[in-house]
Amino acid sequence: MPEVTFSQVGVAVEREDSPQPKVLLDAVSLRLDEARVGVIGANGSGKSTLLRLINGLVQPTSGTVTVDGDDTVSAVRKVRRSVGFVFTDPLSQLVMPTGREDVELSLRRSTKNGSERRRLACKALDRLGLLHLADQSIYELSGGERQLMALAAVLAVNPRVLVLDEPSTLLDLRNRELLRRTLADLDQQIIMSTHDLELALDMDRVLVIDQGRVAFDGAPADAVAAYRSWCLQDLDAAEQDLQ
Amino acid sequence: MRGHGFLLANYVPGTSLVHRAPLALKFLLVLACGLMSFLVADWRISALVLAVLCGLFLATGAGTKRLWRAVRPLAPVLLVIGLFQWWQLGGPAAGRIVLNILVCVVAASLLTATTPVQRLLDGVVHLARPFTRFGADPERFALTIGIMLRSIPFIAGTFADVRDSAKARGLERNPRALVLPVFITSVAYARQTGEALAARGLGEAED
Repeated sequence: MPEVTFSQVGVAVEREDSPQPKVLLDAVSLRLDEARVGVIGANGSGKSTLLRLINGLVQPTSGTVTVDGDDTVSAVRKVRRSVGFVFTDPLSQLVMPTGREDVELSLRRSTKNGSERRRLACKALDRLGLLHLADQSIYELSGGERQLMALAAVLAVNPRVLVLDEPSTLLDLRNRELLRRTLADLDQQIIMSTHDLELALDMDRVLVIDQGRVAFDGAPADAVAAYRSWCLQDLDAAEQDLQ
Repeated sequence: MRGHGFLLANYVPGTSLVHRAPLALKFLLVLACGLMSFLVADWRISALVLAVLCGLFLATGAGTKRLWRAVRPLAPVLLVIGLFQWWQLGGPAAGRIVLNILVCVVAASLLTATTPVQRLLDGVVHLARPFTRFGADPERFALTIGIMLRSIPFIAGTFADVRDSAKARGLERNPRALVLPVFITSVAYARQTGEALAARGLGEAED
């Protein structure tokens, strides 16, 4: 498996209403080399920032992030060739009017020949059982089909690491299960943030992020239990404050 | 999100004469129609060209529904332009201007209805290749066209959603309630698209 390393990584952004920057991630150090890594935590805890660092979409304010030794800032193009990223909303990710065209767009750089590109696009769609939807407008697809289409477009270029930012948030139960089964069959290393704790339990290792720090790092069942307990404690404390 | 209100027709597979015509010829047709709107001064010629283009569009098998879907979103704008020009320049000039806009839209629809997007992008890359000596990246030209084709229905869909939510709140007559959310959503969409392209390594210079 590839190795993703965070060394004392901090991310902070300027704030208009305060001279102090807002800290999104604080001195995170990790080495991720498991096949399936889950990231859970409350909204705004820093999960998405952590994932975006792996693809170079966010640059660290301090520290370094590497993928198999390649720095995500100085070697960002190389990193992006080996790290695929799937966003929460597939509509913001699918750039072309149909799924086939979007997969072909992914392949434009690597495959100059149009008919070969088309063949590879069909193969990528067929792999996820989407060939029958290849020429349908992306607006006519269900949420799950769109998410799988976005996944197919990313997988078409054979990334070694697949980063998914809450991929099941907009999906119904059936589509969530479909996505879960599809992900289970992939050979790539998967690093995924999710609010779906069942999905988190499928992982090999789970990180709980809280206020920009890794609050727990360990076995999925323990991580989910710790997260649940903190959430309930937090809720109880808030209710007591109100009373 | 509704996104079906598309200004240009999507590709319709077929074997018609227009489908089989070289891409360069179809590009030239669109270019000629654009130029015609500046040069032709007689509304009757514009009407004749529009009729020929509509005939060609229907001959491709794309159907009247697609043709209507391509021009329908423009109807309110054309009505406003037509009335204003009638008031300013008279009936024949107003007719010519409205017909020339329709000529351009139908010509562009003829191109997109009979050419797969990837073939269209390959054509753009080919056309843009001479500009590489000035530092231009032909793939970026193609990507821009692709994003444009995808963004038009998104913005049309956003407008429909915003109009419905304004109606639900009784604000359908408030232009701010219509324009501002569409503007904000479009900017957010542009940012998300840029991020998605960056994540996929698209639009970066060739190695």
